Amino acid sequence: MKTAWFVLSRLARDRSALLGLVLIALLVVAAALAPVLSTHPDDVFELHPSERLRAPSGAHWLGTDRMGADVYSRLLFGARITILIGIIAVGASLAIGVPIGLVAGYYHGWLSDSLMRVSDIFLAVPQVVLAIAIAQTLGPSLPNVILALSVTYWPWFARVVYAETRALEKEIFVESTAALGASPWRLTVLHVLPNIASPIIVRASIGMGFTILTAAALGFLGLGPPPPTPEWGRTIAESREFLPDAWWYATAPGLAIFLTVMGFNLLGDGLRDVLDPRLRRSRTARDG
Amino acid sequence: MTHGRSWLIVVLLVALAVIPAAPAMAQTRFVFANESPYDTMDPHAAFDVGRVAVRLNLYDGLYRWLDNPPKLEPWLAESHTVSPDGLTYTFKLRRGAKFHDGAEITAEDVRYSMERILALKKGAASIFATMVAPNTTKALDRHTVQFTISKPAAIFMAMIPEVHVVNSALLKKHEKDGDWGAAWLTSNDAGSGSYMLSRYDPAVGFIAKRFAGHFLPWGAKPIDEIEFRLVKEDNTRVLGMIRGDFQGTGGYLPNDQVKRLREASNVKIVEQESMRIMMFQINNQRAPLNDPSVRRAISYAFDYDGFNKEILGGSVERNPVPIPNNMWGVPRDVKGYSYDLDKAKAELAKAKAKVDRPITVGYLQGFSQTEQAATVMANGLRKLGLETKLTSELWPTMVERMKKPDTSPDLVVYWISTYYADPHNWIGEMFHSGQWGTFKASSFYKNPKVDELLDTALKATDRKVREKAYQDAARIVVDEAAGIWIYNTKYFGPWAKNLEGIRFSPIGNGQEIRWLSYSK
Amino acid sequence: MRLLALALHRLLWFMPTLLGLLVVTFVISRIIPADPVALVAGETATPAQVEALRRDLGYDRPLPVQFVHYVAGLVRGDMGTSLFTRRPIVDDLLHRLPATIELTVVAMLVSVLAGIPLGVLSALWRNSVLDHALRVITVSGLAIASFWLGIMLQLLFAMRLGWTPLNGRLQGFPPRDLTGFYLLDAALTADWGTFAAALQHLALPAATLAFPALATLVRFTRAGVLDVMQSNFVLYERAMGLPRPLIVWKYILRSALTSTVTQIGLLFGILLAGAVVTEAVFDWPGIGTYAVNSIVRSDYNAVMGFTVWAGAIFIVVNLLVDIAHTLVDPRERTT
Repeated sequence: MKTAWFVLSRLARDRSALLGLVLIALLVVAAALAPVLSTHPDDVFELHPSERLRAPSGAHWLGTDRMGADVYSRLLFGARITILIGIIAVGASLAIGVPIGLVAGYYHGWLSDSLMRVSDIFLAVPQVVLAIAIAQTLGPSLPNVILALSVTYWPWFARVVYAETRALEKEIFVESTAALGASPWRLTVLHVLPNIASPIIVRASIGMGFTILTAAALGFLGLGPPPPTPEWGRTIAESREFLPDAWWYATAPGLAIFLTVMGFNLLGDGLRDVLDPRLRRSRTARDG
Repeated sequence: MTHGRSWLIVVLLVALAVIPAAPAMAQTRFVFANESPYDTMDPHAAFDVGRVAVRLNLYDGLYRWLDNPPKLEPWLAESHTVSPDGLTYTFKLRRGAKFHDGAEITAEDVRYSMERILALKKGAASIFATMVAPNTTKALDRHTVQFTISKPAAIFMAMIPEVHVVNSALLKKHEKDGDWGAAWLTSNDAGSGSYMLSRYDPAVGFIAKRFAGHFLPWGAKPIDEIEFRLVKEDNTRVLGMIRGDFQGTGGYLPNDQVKRLREASNVKIVEQESMRIMMFQINNQRAPLNDPSVRRAISYAFDYDGFNKEILGGSVERNPVPIPNNMWGVPRDVKGYSYDLDKAKAELAKAKAKVDRPITVGYLQGFSQTEQAATVMANGLRKLGLETKLTSELWPTMVERMKKPDTSPDLVVYWISTYYADPHNWIGEMFHSGQWGTFKASSFYKNPKVDELLDTALKATDRKVREKAYQDAARIVVDEAAGIWIYNTKYFGPWAKNLEGIRFSPIGNGQEIRWLSYSK
Repeated sequence: MRLLALALHRLLWFMPTLLGLLVVTFVISRIIPADPVALVAGETATPAQVEALRRDLGYDRPLPVQFVHYVAGLVRGDMGTSLFTRRPIVDDLLHRLPATIELTVVAMLVSVLAGIPLGVLSALWRNSVLDHALRVITVSGLAIASFWLGIMLQLLFAMRLGWTPLNGRLQGFPPRDLTGFYLLDAALTADWGTFAAALQHLALPAATLAFPALATLVRFTRAGVLDVMQSNFVLYERAMGLPRPLIVWKYILRSALTSTVTQIGLLFGILLAGAVVTEAVFDWPGIGTYAVNSIVRSDYNAVMGFTVWAGAIFIVVNLLVDIAHTLVDPRERTT
């Protein structure tokens, strides 16, 4: 297993992965320091109707929205929501998907088949549609969006873990450890898991990007947190009726989403190259 | 090879994209872009402004509302008489008026139409059902029809235009399982109006051709073919008007869009005072909103000027009472509430009930103005230290929720348009306790004094008596802050510049095309 | 032989998977809080009338009974009736399917016809300007929110430049309904005006939908070609002095196509998912908007119908892809 230091130093040599790290760092900084970095921190709630739809200027770096609130400041606070959704949703998916994948990979027979078929069920319908159904059913809010995303993303983790576990069982060390009488629990947690950590990490990084895009789509469709939450997808939806004149209103949040997701994608690619060059050429037909 | 081919396709696509595709519009064609779908052609199935074009153009009633201020003009009927006790209305039909299939319109068709409305229980039935019982309408002879109402009601005449006369013989032919021909009429035509249905698709809209045999004479240059099309997005309707794809569209666009249209060379904006109030209904039955002081506090917490003047660019008029400013019955001395946080806090302090939970504010999905109004309301309440929870629904779902005090949100923001030109359309239907369960009465207000005043107004036929009753009722309702009334709309109708003869009425919104013609 | 085993294994699991999908959707659709029966009954219906309607529609029976009833109907080919359009859902879906298929096919064509050649070139001219430019597109292709891309395209091409319409499948009424595909129908009736208009309307949504698919295709084609270029037999042929174009054509393109076949399944997934959001942005009257509208309006049966359709197609497509993949490249193992 590769040490973190080794990984980081290899990563640093990959320019695009570095770019990815930088973008992610920017996102984290923006979110963490939003109250400090924003020019109008109150504009998350405050309205200034007389200043609505102003073009970018010295006072408002990215202009104002339909309520006269500062687009730039709301963007920074929106970053908090984005990170929150990403981390919790991916974390939850991981927490559900990895154990399921391990169990399915370790055992053979009907249990394993059933688990994989269950994950197939969730993969059969486009994630976005299932997420919409769940969010609509439970009502638009932040927790429900996170729930909807977690419930629909775990199969990706399960599949990866399943495939890797199955691939590993042919390895000598697994067979010998099992022959020595190690319990399944010991085997999977202490021996299998560390060896498949790499694909899981890669999947998590790519998953962040994916989840953030889907969350933005839900926000765009009005299924995310309600107004006046400065969620990026919702802001884009709000901006549409004011185009083409207030072009900054739609462009800024979209660029924010783009840079964020690109950051995670680049990082994911870089991690994949470093951690497991074999994966780069993987033709797994379900690569999301 | 594939490489070259793919470039060729790209070039082809770009070329085709640049070639304008719209054919030149023949001068006798008119296309209207509508923001709601025409999901039924049945004039008795719907009553709303969004789909009024079907009823105005394909069907006729006994009388019709025309112009602004709206006047009731004889249409299929030549005249009518009312019995002294106010319970019997007798209409004399004009002779020789025909349906689209050539059959003559008789009193039996009118009788059938009223019975059909009552039986289908949709659209205007909710109002007629309170006045007319089934099987009481009579066709006295071929051209005389008589309605009997259960108690004197001043609004009966105001509602008469909603009895759209349908071709009873034709519908009887297409009746299935006692449905009054409803399944067939959803996508067909049983009318007598100025235009005849020629093509219909619920996802697209409808096309209708001029009915040369209409009882009203046509002008010199009538429009031969009309098309009413579903175009959901504001931006698309605006762009389409500017490009000449449409010659008319709805007149309640956001102010920003109206400004763009004013600047277009081939569009003119017809500005008219309309009657359409935007307001917040307050759930008067739910604590702590059952305390008038709390309601007054909320009324002082909405930034009326910020919303009307800034966000809506001054395109609307502040309307502080539950009757449109330009309607009779408004108590002219009542100023209503203004945005005053100090007064709001004072009211809260006076209140016996304490506000210890978030206030739910409901708005309509797809209507961003309601979303913005809800946001302004939430902001004001926040300044008072009150939490809010915004929730959005589709209009039909919201109507469903507003049927019962338990399921209705604390505050709901929407509009009430002119279904008929009478104060009862607003204050009567909003605050009479007998109206609970209808979407207009989601205030769930109950005040016996107000009920009495409203009953008086409905029964009386003397305008002065009615006016005083409505004014008194309005004073009480405003004092008790039973709701929050924000503005009365103005109509800013975008029309093709070369169109003449547009006749606007708050009921109908100018969508009756038989008056229009193109100047060269 | 292994092919047969694979196919049988998949088919055996097709049914339970589909059934499982149905159960999940059924549960989700039934716990929706709004009461669609009341909505359908209308604003003026009394509670008694609503209950009568509920009995008529069979929604008063216990949930498991409703489910069994539904599945029995499915076997007969009956997906039930939409609460809102009052038409059989099969009809609704068929009515809207051509719109989505037309969009997806055009998007697929664009991405394949542009993506494969670009991917090949990118690999052949590694580290050239073209290659770097394409890598930018590849990376951004999966990072751009497609609804935002659509809006930006609308902003530039429809609003500012006026080159294309803003949204919709067509202005006004469509050409004569022969296949439901406007391009085909217009061409078959020589209605070239409508043909051009339909193409114009397709331009932006197809571009939006194609972008991520294009990016993926370029990326995988490039990787596949690079692999092959490094492989022994190509090196051998180059050493033998075979002309480059011949090598390209003979081996590299074929293997590029191989990897594409594998990606069709992936592409299909991307396109189907993207269709829902793209249709929302462009107001495209296809299955995507039907699904979203049905969910938002709590139209139980329509939601189930859409899920059945989407799920079945997805499973079938994946099966076909796996089969095709085994056929095309017997060296590779399937997991």
